[in-house]
Amino acid sequence: MESGQPVFEAIGLTKKYEDETLALDHVSFSVRAGEIFAMLGGNGAGKTTTINLFLNFIEPTEGEARINGIASHKDPLTAKRNVAFVSENVMLYPNFTALQNLDYFSRLGGKTQYSKENYHAVLRRVGLQEEAHTKRLRGFSKGMRQKCGIAIAILKDAPAILLDEPTSGLDPQAGFEFIELLRSLRDDGKSILMSTHDIFRAKEVADVVGIMNRGKLIMQKHAAELAGHDLEELYMKYIAGHIRDAA
Amino acid sequence: MFRLLIEKELREIIGSTKFAVSFGVCSILILLAFYLGAANYLASVAQYNAARAENLRQLEGLTDWLAVRDYRIFLPPRPLTTLVSGIANDVGRTIEINGRGDLVAHDSRYGDEPIYAIFRFLDLDFVFQIVLSLFAIVFAYDSINGEKERGTLRLTFANAVPKAHYILAKLIGSYAALAVPLLIPLALGSLLLVVMGIPLSSNEWMRLGVIIATGIAYVGVFLTLSILLSSLTQRSSTSFLMLLVIWVMSVIIVPRGAVLLAGRAVSVPTIEENNAKKGKLNAQLWREDREAMTKFQPSSSSDPQRMASEFQKLMQEMADKRDARMKQLSDRLNEERTNAQQVQRGLAFGIARVSPAATFALATTALAGTSLDLEYLFRDAALAYQQAYAGFMFKKTGVNLSRGMIIMRTESGDPEKPKSINANELPVFTYSERGVSEVMQAVLPDIGLLLLYNVLFFAGAFVAFLRYDLR
Ligand SMILES: Nc1ncnc2c1ncn2[C@@H]1O[C@H](COP(=O)(O)OP(=O)(O)OP(=O)(O)O)[C@@H](O)[C@H]1O
Ligand SMILES: [Mg+2]
Repeated sequence: MESGQPVFEAIGLTKKYEDETLALDHVSFSVRAGEIFAMLGGNGAGKTTTINLFLNFIEPTEGEARINGIASHKDPLTAKRNVAFVSENVMLYPNFTALQNLDYFSRLGGKTQYSKENYHAVLRRVGLQEEAHTKRLRGFSKGMRQKCGIAIAILKDAPAILLDEPTSGLDPQAGFEFIELLRSLRDDGKSILMSTHDIFRAKEVADVVGIMNRGKLIMQKHAAELAGHDLEELYMKYIAGHIRDAA
Repeated sequence: MFRLLIEKELREIIGSTKFAVSFGVCSILILLAFYLGAANYLASVAQYNAARAENLRQLEGLTDWLAVRDYRIFLPPRPLTTLVSGIANDVGRTIEINGRGDLVAHDSRYGDEPIYAIFRFLDLDFVFQIVLSLFAIVFAYDSINGEKERGTLRLTFANAVPKAHYILAKLIGSYAALAVPLLIPLALGSLLLVVMGIPLSSNEWMRLGVIIATGIAYVGVFLTLSILLSSLTQRSSTSFLMLLVIWVMSVIIVPRGAVLLAGRAVSVPTIEENNAKKGKLNAQLWREDREAMTKFQPSSSSDPQRMASEFQKLMQEMADKRDARMKQLSDRLNEERTNAQQVQRGLAFGIARVSPAATFALATTALAGTSLDLEYLFRDAALAYQQAYAGFMFKKTGVNLSRGMIIMRTESGDPEKPKSINANELPVFTYSERGVSEVMQAVLPDIGLLLLYNVLFFAGAFVAFLRYDLR
């Protein structure tokens, strides 16, 4: 599925914070429908900044972040209708049950047609144990909350999905199931942009892998190009090389 | 969308265990305040009636109105004063009437039962000022930055949610979730007054209604302030600390500081100072009069009857002059003191109004008739009564009590057995509070100020959130 309009599109995306930190430096890439783009990169490389720009939480200094062709900072409300988001470490509402959290965020996302059964089904799909469905989130573990967050994103049923370190906090089995889930979402035609520190999973699931370093997208390769390469080695090489270049 | 946001706000607050517990505690305190107020009122009425009966009983068997001593008037208890006690427990409730001289009120509740003075009463004013303001803070201190900490702010705004809708829903939802439920125990408390048979006039019901509305506005100040600070800070621990500091300043430091400051800035002559001045003048006048007496020359030394009457005339003249001069000084000193007090109070309250707690207290005590005004009203009523009393005595005995007590009564040698006096003939003391419209006019600026705080903080929270960093 390499054809069609890009769903995510970064065009010369640049972000300089008030304290003059250049967090993103003319980053360009695009992610099509039915495609998973995995952003790798060390701490402070600019991954979250990129995601925040797509969600218009911050304004770009230069360039544009587009979702379905709409620049987020120009028409944020329309852009956001087309995107679902899973953030790292979302706690959700501790006084609401899993179902109540799902219901609230689904309605907020404009989906009012869901039944309780739909919510149960999604929670099963993300692997949240049955007895937790009607429990308040206050006692949930980090991974359980993460699963709810992923369920919320699925329920929004948007063409674009943004994931910021979605596997942090998931146990090995949940991590494995999550990869399966991503694949099925891709097969549904979703366009997925995710940041991660998990090189192995990235290689396993991504159609395109990007490596960021110090605000620059220093490598961008299709899965086919990566076949036969050890991605971890490649990652180290790129980062090291980039550091040498910068020095 | 807007409805959904408000609904969520309501469910999140009201559905929490924290709410159930603290709302329960607040409700109990409110009901307790009403119950204690009513019980206190009933006790005060019994005490008041007993004191009045005893007062009249002391006059039984007297045959001469001039033998009346220790006749007292009493400040009648009123239901609202026990709900919002203000200074009601500090002022004397009894004044001895002699037909002349300065009036001094005795027997304050705290004077009689000092144990209550230590922690003051648990009245409606206290519940609002201390408990409910904290209740608002506890629920709203993290209303924005708490959502950020939990990541729900990012998740929410990953949807097509306009910031303005969100913050408006937050403000309205918090109001509806916190201020409105308080109306339930307040209504139940009012009902309790009816059940316990507390007679409230329509005037008093109206004032109670305004007291409750003012209380809700006061709670609203802390509610909107909490949301404002929560949308100006990134961490809930920061906003909580700031709110706590502001709360302490507002409830404790500013009102006390204002009074101390005004006390230093404007000096008011003390009663002792004035008494010393009066004593000095009195002594001086007596000295002068004694000299005049020694210089007394009767027009003829042959007629002792005439001599005596001339001497008595001189004495009376001197007494009248002395009284006039004493009264002149007393009036001047009293006026000076009252004026200085007025300036001092104006300054103190002016500064204190920076604090919503002080503004609230000033408004509610005025509405309940327990502001500083109470002391003046009681004194004025007592002064008026004193005149009526003196007039009554003059009619009965021909003696003008308001002049000096230099009385030379010749026994008429009435052969009849003297008749007992009828104490019920004495004029009845009435204490009437200010009318509703007058009180409303007085408290309107304070209520307006509280509403203004609400509007300012509401608007401030709105603007602050539009600029809030959602990440
Ligand atoms: N509000 C801000 N003000 C100034 N600099 C910022 C701000 N937010 C992020 N940065 C800087 O921008 C750079 C990119 O940060 P970003 O959060 O995008 O990194 P990241 O790739 O998500 O890192 P991590 O893997 O640790 O999540 C960092 O140098 C960071 O210090
Ligand atoms: Mg990050």
